[in-house]
Amino acid sequence: MALLKVKFDQKKRVKLAQGLWLMNWLSVLAGIVIFSLGLFLKIELRKRSDVMNNSESHFVPNSLIGMGVLSCVFNSLAGKICYDALDPSKYAKWKPWLKSYLVVCVLFNIVLFLVALCCFLMRGSLESTLAQGLKNGMKYYRDTDTPGRCFMKKTIDLLQIEFKCCGNNGFRDWFEIQWISNRYLDFSSKEVKDRIKSNVDGRYLVDGVPFSCCNPNSPRPCIQYQLTNNSAHYSYDHQTEELNLWVRGCRAALLSYYGSLMNSMGAVTLLVWLFEVGSGPAGGEGSGGHLPLLDLTGGAQPGVLASLLRSSPQPCCG
Amino acid sequence: MAPVLPLVLPLQPRIRLAQGLWLLSWLLALAGGLTLLYSGHLQVQLWHLSTFLAPSCPFAALPRVALAAGAVALGTGLVGAGTSRASLDAAQYPPWRKVLGPLLVVGTAGGGGLLVLALGLALALPGSLDTGLEEGLGTALVHYKDTEVPGHCHAKRLLDELQLRHHCCGRHGYKDWFGVQWVSSRYLDPNDQDVVDRIQSNVEGLYLIDGVPFSCCNPHSPRPCLQNRLSDPHAHPLFDPRQPNLNLWAQGCHGVLLGHLQGLASTLGSMLAVTFLLQTLVLLGLRYLQTALEGLGGVIDGEGETQGYLFPSGLKDMLQTAWRQGGVAHRPAPEETPPEEAPPKEGPPEA
Repeated sequence: MALLKVKFDQKKRVKLAQGLWLMNWLSVLAGIVIFSLGLFLKIELRKRSDVMNNSESHFVPNSLIGMGVLSCVFNSLAGKICYDALDPSKYAKWKPWLKSYLVVCVLFNIVLFLVALCCFLMRGSLESTLAQGLKNGMKYYRDTDTPGRCFMKKTIDLLQIEFKCCGNNGFRDWFEIQWISNRYLDFSSKEVKDRIKSNVDGRYLVDGVPFSCCNPNSPRPCIQYQLTNNSAHYSYDHQTEELNLWVRGCRAALLSYYGSLMNSMGAVTLLVWLFEVGSGPAGGEGSGGHLPLLDLTGGAQPGVLASLLRSSPQPCCG
Repeated sequence: MAPVLPLVLPLQPRIRLAQGLWLLSWLLALAGGLTLLYSGHLQVQLWHLSTFLAPSCPFAALPRVALAAGAVALGTGLVGAGTSRASLDAAQYPPWRKVLGPLLVVGTAGGGGLLVLALGLALALPGSLDTGLEEGLGTALVHYKDTEVPGHCHAKRLLDELQLRHHCCGRHGYKDWFGVQWVSSRYLDPNDQDVVDRIQSNVEGLYLIDGVPFSCCNPHSPRPCLQNRLSDPHAHPLFDPRQPNLNLWAQGCHGVLLGHLQGLASTLGSMLAVTFLLQTLVLLGLRYLQTALEGLGGVIDGEGETQGYLFPSGLKDMLQTAWRQGGVAHRPAPEETPPEEAPPKEGPPEA
């Protein structure tokens, strides 16, 4: 029982072959798009691997890159097959491979769909990686003379300026760690000695934040130190002051950035998957045995969309 | 009346001319498109920096003129490509024949004029940037504290973002901030003796401090940023005020912005020069093609030799003919007047 029978005569078959050739090259283009999306995501993750403890998972960008390359290869192969299908002599050498090619195409489409799903699901693992990485980053903020960690201050400062965020969950995270190195503390000062003595671990904790937390939208010059002391600054109430520092935590900011990036990549991959699924059966039908008869018979031949595995052409008079 | 710069064009060179012209026209279209995009980019950059450029600075005219010149070059390239393609095919050529004449006039006068103007501006205007930026940045610095004055309330945010993005501090250095009151009086405690002393010791009653805003801080510094009491060597331990090179950004915003905008203008200038060269070549080629094909009288596949030229006669003769024609037009016109396609009129075909 044939599904969705369509009658094809000579002219229509030529048009079909041309259309399929075009669609295959569009699919190659789509494969290139997926490849470049994967590459872009990989570069973005690498750029900020410092704040993710160098332990972020590169599974999604690697699989996007792999699928892009495979898509290009398969679709250029399909384009070659369609092109050769117009010439019976060339087509004969492709015929034995068609069945396995179609099976591989189906598998490829399934894997592409799974990769598109992964794009949407990676957010959870990214969140935990970011939380851990940012906490460590802030801990090493003051170690600008320790080899291997000397760049952490610059990284965190540039991150807070670029993503308009402060601390892990908020600016109060800076109150709990010592972010001013002992090298720059004047130990002869009474104030410094008192602070260190009053802390159990002997750390110098301040209710202040680095300059990169400052919000340029604030109408007054940035207040960085003695943030919880209202009397230290004229006309200042720390409970109601919102514009002085960035309110968002860097974990939420980075998560929303990478989340939106991966959502759009997942959407593009799904679109490409739909396109591939649409052109798959049509391509299988077209090269499934009726195109080589273009030159031999001019008459109408029944074409069947779902008979993907029919490999031998039916002669019109036999 | 000898034609100016004649060139004999048999069939094969004519075909080669048309093919070469087709390629050049696409290159011209590409160059015109790129010029268009780049001048759009420059316009956007200027729009972002409009607060720091005095309104009297004429630099803003450059991207607009370059935009127009790029658009005309793009149009010339596209029509030139179509014409040269059509000139190889007798059936397609007639409609293009009518377009070619006006195109040559518009391309030479309009396009060429705009390109020359844009090139001139690209060379001359960057000089005026210096004073424009000086004035603009000075105003922005003075109005940094005026976050509640309508018209200047964005100066603080824009200046902070400028210093953060372009890695600069002050006009020519961080000491510019010492001469401006950048802390608004609304946030100064009138009961604080230090504040009162400072204000009274200043001739104009300004509250000047040896400190800088947070946006001057350099993230590459190994120590937390020092913003206040920068001239006092005893205020910060282990800090030598004679060498503050890593603590704050060392460059002034004037130098950085000047370099940035001058770089953009010079790139635009070189793109305009390339577009001008391509446009000249394309227009010359189109003129020769047009006159050569007119010489054949419309049978463009003909094997005959024909002459292409720039002008049918010398400049003096052209003016004389034009003058005489102007005089003739006032008398009753003869029955047969060949339609004017484009000045100068085509001369009789040379056998």
